[in-house]
Amino acid sequence: MRVLTGLILGMISGATPILLAALGGAFTYYAGVFNIAMEGMMLMAAFFAVLGSFYLHSWLAGLFLAIVGSLLLALIFILFAVVLHTDEFITGIALNLFALGATIYMLRQIFKVKGAFNDPGIIAIPALHIPGLETIPWLGQILSGQNLVVYLALLATLISAYCVFRTRFGLRLRAAGYNPACLDTSGVPTARIRIQSLLVCGVLCGLAGAYLSLGYVRMFVENMSAGRGWISLAAVILVNGNPWGIAIISLVFGFFDGLGLFLQSYNIAPQFTAMVPYLATLVALYFYSMRQRKKVT
Amino acid sequence: MRQKFLTGISGILIALLIGAVIMASQGYDPFSTYLALFQYSLFSLYSFATTVKNSTPLILTGLSASIAFASGVVNLGQPGQLVMGALLATLAGLYIHLPPALEIPLLILAAMLGGVLWSGLAAFLRRAFNMSEFIVTLMLNMIADFFTTWVISFPLWDPKAFSPMTPQMDQAGWLPDIGDFSTVIFFMLLATAISWFIFNRWKAGYEWRMGGQNSLFARLGGCNVERNYVAVMLITGALAGLAGGLVVMGGPHRFIKGLGANYAWDGIMIAIVANNGLVATLLYGIFFSAIQTGALGMELITNVPSEISQVLQAVLVLVIVAGREYLNTLLDQIQTRRRARERTI
Repeated sequence: MRVLTGLILGMISGATPILLAALGGAFTYYAGVFNIAMEGMMLMAAFFAVLGSFYLHSWLAGLFLAIVGSLLLALIFILFAVVLHTDEFITGIALNLFALGATIYMLRQIFKVKGAFNDPGIIAIPALHIPGLETIPWLGQILSGQNLVVYLALLATLISAYCVFRTRFGLRLRAAGYNPACLDTSGVPTARIRIQSLLVCGVLCGLAGAYLSLGYVRMFVENMSAGRGWISLAAVILVNGNPWGIAIISLVFGFFDGLGLFLQSYNIAPQFTAMVPYLATLVALYFYSMRQRKKVT
Repeated sequence: MRQKFLTGISGILIALLIGAVIMASQGYDPFSTYLALFQYSLFSLYSFATTVKNSTPLILTGLSASIAFASGVVNLGQPGQLVMGALLATLAGLYIHLPPALEIPLLILAAMLGGVLWSGLAAFLRRAFNMSEFIVTLMLNMIADFFTTWVISFPLWDPKAFSPMTPQMDQAGWLPDIGDFSTVIFFMLLATAISWFIFNRWKAGYEWRMGGQNSLFARLGGCNVERNYVAVMLITGALAGLAGGLVVMGGPHRFIKGLGANYAWDGIMIAIVANNGLVATLLYGIFFSAIQTGALGMELITNVPSEISQVLQAVLVLVIVAGREYLNTLLDQIQTRRRARERTI
């Protein structure tokens, strides 16, 4: 039972950043923006979260600055990809590398360290204890006492699903991707919808990044997003952007992430356990491709 | 051609200007910083030789990405192919002992084989199961990274070393220096020349380029699109693998942790900046390498952290690419307007 609880808790904490970033990716996916900058946005947010939390002595400031940092990248993306019509793929790759270089540079400039910044002065985002749920036997320790961002991620899933399928903004969002010319001729500029989708993506990736450096662990490490942005991109593509699908697939990835950590106690080399989520992505892609092929024939 | 040159130069100047603003805002003197940067990378024979040597992995992965993108193949697996190439070259250098005249070509082939295996795996997954190479190669990068770290931490770990690395390989496989210049440069130029010839002068290269520009046209024209896809994947894998092999043979002569660095991603950026042109990849590769090489010397003199080179690179990419595409739209607009005016007269 304790193993099962540990695995489930590991699954939830592994899934949260991927879920948040993938939800952000879903908005841009529907809007027809090929956005691969989630990795960079998350990394930037993770750095700014530590910056805010350390200097302003409050996790709320950290969370806020994380969103600002992520939005900064989203704004650069908007400037180049939407306003100047630079290729989205190129902008994304350049932004990811910019985020990597800029965080390493600022880590050195501001905190005077190389590699990682770990200090007791960094205030983590607290866990939320829900009074009613806590008393339920066993389930209570899973449903209650999770990090605040975990609940925010849950909320974000509900809101995203509602927003995309049930609101006017969602309809326009999907139209921007499905038939931009039609949206333009009906009087709604596609560019505006795309800009809005990128801003939403920035906010969600900001939350994901803040969770990485103030929830999952309480420090900033160089390149700490470690391919999670790519995995969330894969998640978006695998389920064609559907928020419910993203929630399920993030939990699957989170499970394998947790399983990797769990297997380390069984004397398996850490490098192999760290591979597990990426292998899981390949397997998921295999099933997706086979299903696509069946649809075609 | 002249327009390309012009956009490139003006892009570089604007990017350097933005970099200067960033530096000035941090309280550094931009002029002396740039002077130090280029002093340590271009202005003396020795530093220029170092720059060209350091540009080798950037240019080879850049060529790999250029050929792939220009052929419509989204091979983003250069980071993984590079470390697998380096690993196989190291393995061959550790266990096979031959005179240098045979050992060096053997190691080169081993490095290319390493890259081919890794890109071939992605090509196989695409052909057999229709799995998009875009995500597959990205995931294989991470897997290759973890796998090589495992190899150098456990089975091939050098017990005398403090951090994970293999023992040094057979001296016969070391690439010597001639004067200030490393022979790595020779192999890099040779690979560039061969790739240029195949890509721009051969029938196969023509088919690949057509496939990239208009896959339907290539198919109707009688090209075997599927076979071309696999060929491009294998060739670009070999180039990235070669980059890894040359890094090992010309540098530490062993596989050390973090060997792949950011070479391959920088190479991909260079390919993008060069708009998938092979000669442009070579030139931009040397320029990017000058920034990276000079950054270390710059840090010594001016106290500006060398990491600023990474920021500078990303700014360069965005400004050059955005400038090029914006200029193209602008020129199109002017042309359309002129044509419209001619018609009204």
